[in-house]
Amino acid sequence: MDVKGRNFARFLDRQQVYDNQHDAGAAGKQHAKGKLTAWERLDILFDEDTFEEIDAYVTADRTDTGFGKVKQAFGDGVNIGHGLIRGRLVFAYAQDFTVMGGSLGSVHAAKIMKIQDMALKMGAPMIGLIDSGGARIQEGVASLAGYAGIFYRNVQSSGVIPQISVILGPAAGGAVYSPAITDFVFMTNQTSYMFVTGPNVVKEVLNEDVTFNDLGGAGIHSKKSGVAHMVHEDEENTLLGVRQILSYLPSNNMENPPEMELSEDETKDMEEKLRDIVPDDANKPYDVKEVINLLVDKRSFYEISENYAQNLVIGFARLNGKVIGIVANQPKVLAGTLDINSSTKGARFIRFCDAFNVSLLILEDVPGFLPGIDQEHDGIIRHGAKMLYAFADSTVPRITVILRKSYGGAYCVMNSKNLGGDFNFAWPTAEIAVMGPEGAVAIIYRKELEASEDPVAMKKELVARYRTEIANPYIADERGFIDEVIDPAFTRQKLIRAFEALENKFMNNPARKHGNIPL
Amino acid sequence: MAREVKKKKSTKLIALSSANKAYEFNKPLEKSIKYQGKKVDIKLREDPNGFSYIVWKNKKYMLDVIEKNQNRYTIMINGVWHSFTVETPISLKRRRFLEQQGESSSVVSIEAPMPGKIIDLLVEEGAEVKQGEPIIILEAMKMQNEISSHVTGVVQSISVKKNDSVMKDDVLLYIRKG
Amino acid sequence: MKINSILIANRGEIAIRIIRTAKKMGIRSYAIKTSKEPNAWYLEEADEIIDFSECFDDTPEFLDIERIIYNAKEHKVDAIHPGYGFLAENPDFARRCEEEDIVFIGPSHDAIYRMGNKTIAKELAKKNKVPLLGGSKGTVADPEEAKQIADQVGYPVILKAAAGGGGRGMRVVEKEKDIERMFNLATNEAEKAFNNPAVFIEKFVREPRHIEFQILGDKHGNVVHLGERECSIQRKHQKLLEESPSPALDPALRKKMGDAAIRIAKSVNYFSAGTVEFLLDDQNYFSFMEMNTRIQVEHPVTEMVTGIDLIEQMILIAEGKKLPFSQDDIKLNGWAIEWRINAEDVQSGFSPSLGTIEKISWPESDHIRVDTGVRDGSVITPYYDSMIAKLIIHAETREKALQQSSIAIRKFWIKGTKTTLAFCRAVLQNRNFRKGKFNTSFLSKELKIHYHHEPDEELLAAFFAAYDYAREVHEHEDKPLYVEKGKEIAPWLLNKRLR
Repeated sequence: MDVKGRNFARFLDRQQVYDNQHDAGAAGKQHAKGKLTAWERLDILFDEDTFEEIDAYVTADRTDTGFGKVKQAFGDGVNIGHGLIRGRLVFAYAQDFTVMGGSLGSVHAAKIMKIQDMALKMGAPMIGLIDSGGARIQEGVASLAGYAGIFYRNVQSSGVIPQISVILGPAAGGAVYSPAITDFVFMTNQTSYMFVTGPNVVKEVLNEDVTFNDLGGAGIHSKKSGVAHMVHEDEENTLLGVRQILSYLPSNNMENPPEMELSEDETKDMEEKLRDIVPDDANKPYDVKEVINLLVDKRSFYEISENYAQNLVIGFARLNGKVIGIVANQPKVLAGTLDINSSTKGARFIRFCDAFNVSLLILEDVPGFLPGIDQEHDGIIRHGAKMLYAFADSTVPRITVILRKSYGGAYCVMNSKNLGGDFNFAWPTAEIAVMGPEGAVAIIYRKELEASEDPVAMKKELVARYRTEIANPYIADERGFIDEVIDPAFTRQKLIRAFEALENKFMNNPARKHGNIPL
Repeated sequence: MAREVKKKKSTKLIALSSANKAYEFNKPLEKSIKYQGKKVDIKLREDPNGFSYIVWKNKKYMLDVIEKNQNRYTIMINGVWHSFTVETPISLKRRRFLEQQGESSSVVSIEAPMPGKIIDLLVEEGAEVKQGEPIIILEAMKMQNEISSHVTGVVQSISVKKNDSVMKDDVLLYIRKG
Repeated sequence: MKINSILIANRGEIAIRIIRTAKKMGIRSYAIKTSKEPNAWYLEEADEIIDFSECFDDTPEFLDIERIIYNAKEHKVDAIHPGYGFLAENPDFARRCEEEDIVFIGPSHDAIYRMGNKTIAKELAKKNKVPLLGGSKGTVADPEEAKQIADQVGYPVILKAAAGGGGRGMRVVEKEKDIERMFNLATNEAEKAFNNPAVFIEKFVREPRHIEFQILGDKHGNVVHLGERECSIQRKHQKLLEESPSPALDPALRKKMGDAAIRIAKSVNYFSAGTVEFLLDDQNYFSFMEMNTRIQVEHPVTEMVTGIDLIEQMILIAEGKKLPFSQDDIKLNGWAIEWRINAEDVQSGFSPSLGTIEKISWPESDHIRVDTGVRDGSVITPYYDSMIAKLIIHAETREKALQQSSIAIRKFWIKGTKTTLAFCRAVLQNRNFRKGKFNTSFLSKELKIHYHHEPDEELLAAFFAAYDYAREVHEHEDKPLYVEKGKEIAPWLLNKRLR
C-alpha cells in the first residue's frame, strides 16, 4: 500500500498485527475473568487521548528456550509509556495478561526498567498496573534478573518520585516485592491477589487448604497484612482512585504538592461543634474522623489504610487548599492505644510525607501503648521506635494538637515538642501526664491506700484530685512544652496560620549517608 | 506540560438496589430523569434550616444520606431508606459476572460490624446455624452486641477466640452455605 | 404544704414536660446532669442543674435513690417528681422521700407496693368486683399446679412473672403438652430478669384490645377517671401510638370500665395520677390487667381531650389540695392521637438506630403538640430509650385527627437517624386502622409491611446516589489543580531542600 507514493506496507502491516493482538477475542478472555484489558485500563487511568505507548513492537528475544516455547507477540506482555493525569506527566506500565499470562521475561522486564529509568530522569510519578502470572519459567534466570533490576530501580526512585502499584490480577512470588517497595498499593476486590507462595505450595508444604482470596485477596491485605493501602470494588474505581491520590502528591521531591481552590461551601473558620466532640467522660470513645472532617477543607480528607490498624488514622487532606498529612489516634478503636501495626502504619506514612514535602498534622488522644504479652514479645519496642524515629527525622513542618489523653511514652512519640514539633497545641480537654489517674494514684499512694479504712472512696478522691491538679494542659503550657492551649472552635484558623508561618521551614540535619531506622 | 485536561468518560451510571433492581441514568449531573418516555427535571434543594429535599413533579421529598462509602450508598427518602451500589456499565458487567461465579462458591465470611472485643462464641466449628441466629457476642463501646449469621449453613472455621480484639470488617468466621 | 421547688429524677422529654408546668406554677425546677448526655436539652430548661457526672459506682444515675435524696436535701428541694420509668414505681424510693420529709409527687409507697405486686392487685380487684381473667390465685409453685389451673380456665393460658413487666418472663401456652416446658422457661427468664422466679398463670385472651383509664385521686378520698386511652397498636408489648377516646367504647361501656377503674384505685386509697389497664375482647368483655402508679408516656392524649394538665394536678394533689372537679365536670372533647417517633430502623425489625439528630423540625399549629427532649445536634445514646418525640394531634373527630396526622407526619422532618416515621405512614394507610377496627395483633397480622413508601421514592433515592457519585467524581476530576503553585518555592528553601 502506498502513501503519497511511498511504500508504507510494512509499517501498516505491523500495525495491523498489533491491532489484531488487541481484538475482541483477547479482550473477551480478560472480561470473562471480570477484568479489563491492559489498554482499557490505561484508557481509564490517563486523561483522554494523552497516553503515548513506546516499545509497542518489541518481542521476546528467543522463542525456543529449550524448555518450552515462548509466544512471539508484540510488546511481550507489557505496555509502557507516558501520558497526562489531570494535565501532569506520569509514566506507567501495564502488564497484559492476554500474552503468556503477563509473565515476566527478560524483554518484558527490560521494558519496565526502561520506563522506570525515564520516570526517574524526568521527575514524574511512576505507576505500575500489575496483572501477571509471575516469572516466565521458560526464560529461567533471565526473568529473575529482570525482577531484580525492577526492584533496584524501585529503590533508587524511592523518595524521589511517587511510585504507585495497582494490583489488578495475580501478583505472585518475586513480583510482590516491587509493589511492597512502592509508596502506595491499590487492589481491586475479588480479582486481585498477592502472595509470596501460592495456595498450592501451602497445601504441599503445610497440608492446609486455603483459597486465593483468603491467602492474599484484597480483603486480607487491606485489613490483616496492611500491604494494600486502598481497595476498591471494581477496576474503574480503583484507577479513578489512583488519579485522586495523585492530586495530593507532588511530581517529585523537589516540588510541593499541587494546591486547590476552596469550594464555595467551605468549612467555616470557626466551628463550635468541635467544642462538643470530646466527651466529658475521659473513658468514652468518639470518632476522631469527625474532628478531622471539621478541621480540613470540606470532603478533602483522603484516608489511607482505612481498614488496617484502625486505632491510628492516617491520610492526606487539604487545609486552606494546601496538602497536609494527618496522623491521628482513634479513640474509637482500642481506646486509641499505639500497637505494633499502628506504629509501622504511622511511621511509613510520616516517611512518605517527609520525603515529598507534605506538612504533618498530628491529632493526639493516646492513653499509651497497648499492653500485652503478644505485643511485647512481637517487638513493640522496636516497632514503636519506628514512629518515634520517623517523626524526629522528618524536616517538614509538623504541628500537634492534643485533643485529650497524652500519657507517658506515647506522649513523647506523638510528635512532642522535644521531638521537634514546630507547634504543639492543646485543647482545654487535654490530659498530659506520665500516666493515667488510676495508675498514678495506685503507685504514689500505695501505702496510704493500704492503710485506709475505705480505700475505694479514698482512691476516688485522689483520682479526682489528680485529674484537676495534674492531668490537664496548663502545667505543660506554663512550662513551655505546649505552645498554646486553644479553643477547639478556632483550631482550623490556628492551624492555617501556623502552617503558613512554617512554609519555608528549613532544617540542617547532620550530613550522613542515611540514618539507621530501627527496621 | 500544562496541556488542557480532557477526560471524557461514559457518564452513564447505574444505581443497583439491594433487591438487585437497576436504575439507569444517562447523565445524572444534568438532573433530569427519563420517566415514562419523557424527560422530567429533578430539583435538589436545601431549606434555610439545613434540610435537603428533592422536588419531583411538584412534590417535595425529604432527603438524607445515611451512609456513603466509595460507591455504596444508603439514601433515606421521606423516612424510608434504600441501599444502592453505583455502577458504571463496565463495573456492572463485572459485578454480574462475579455474582454468577460467586454462586458456585458456597463459603461466606461473617465480619465484625464494628471494632471491639469478642466476649463469647456461641457456636463451634461444625455447628449448624440458621439465618439470623446469633453466633458471636462482641463488646463495643461498652455494649454487648450479638452478631448473627446472615446465611444458613455449617460453621466451617472460626478465626477468632474469646477475648480477642477485632477491627471493623475483620473476618470472625466462615460458614458453608447449605 | 405549698411546693416551691421540684427535683426531677428523670431526663428527656418528660423532664422538659414537668419543667414546663413547674414554670407555669412558679415552681423552681432542678434537673440531674449525667455524664451520658451532658449537653441534653432538658438541662437548659431547668432552673438549676445538679451534677451527677462523676460516677462512683455502676448504679445508673436515675436509679441511685440515696444520691438523689441526698442532693434533694442538700439543695433544700421541697418535692421530687420521678416522671416515668426509673424510680417512678419503686415503693422504696417513695418511702425514703417520706422519711426524709421530701414530697414525692405520686401515690403513697403503700399504693405503689400493692399495685406493683400482681398477686395482691388481683385480690383487690376480685374483692372490688372488677372482672378478672381466670387463673391462679397467687404464684404457681410447680408445673403440676400450673397444669391443674390451666385445665380449669382452659387453654390458651399465659404465664407471667410476678415481678415482671415489659414482656419479659411471659409465655403463652397453647396446649397441655407444652405447659411443663413453658413453665420452666418462664421461671428461668423471670429469675434472670427480675431475680425472682415466681410466676402466675391466667387465661390468655387472643387478640384483645388494650384499653387503659386515666385516674386522678386526691388525698381526701376523691377519685375520678379522665376517660380511656386506646393502646392496642403495639410491638412486643411496646406501645407505638395511643389515642383517646377509643373507637371501641360507647358511653355505657366507658362508664362501666371507668367505675371499675375507680373502684380499683379506691381500694388502695389512691391519690395522684395513675392508670388502670384492661384487656377488652371482641365481645366487649373487659378484664383488669394491672395498674400503673405513675404518669404515663401517653398522658398527653388525655390532656388534649380533657383540657386538664395532669402534671399540674399531680403537684396540686401532692400539696394536699382537693380535686377541683367532679366526675360530672369531665367531658371528652374531640379526638387525640399520639404518634411515638422513635430512633428505630423499622426496615430492620425496629432495631435501635443510634446517632446524632442533625436537624429536627415539625409543623406548628393549634391542633399539634410535640413533646420532645431532643433538638438539633442531640445524640441518641445507647443508655436510654430510643424515643425522639411524641407527636400529638387533636381534632374534632377521629377522621379529622387522622387526616391532620397524615399532613403533620409528612412535615415532620428528622435528619441524621432512622426513625419510625415511615411506620406511622404505613399505619395511616391501613384501611382497618382508619375504620377503627384493630387490636393488639395489628402489627403481626394486619400490617403486612411496617413502613410505607410511595412508588417513585426508590427511583429518587437511586437518582440521588448516582448524582452524588457523579458529582464526587466530577469534583475530584474537574476542580482545578494548581500544579504550578507547587513549583513556586522560595529560594531560601529551594537550594536547601536536599539534605
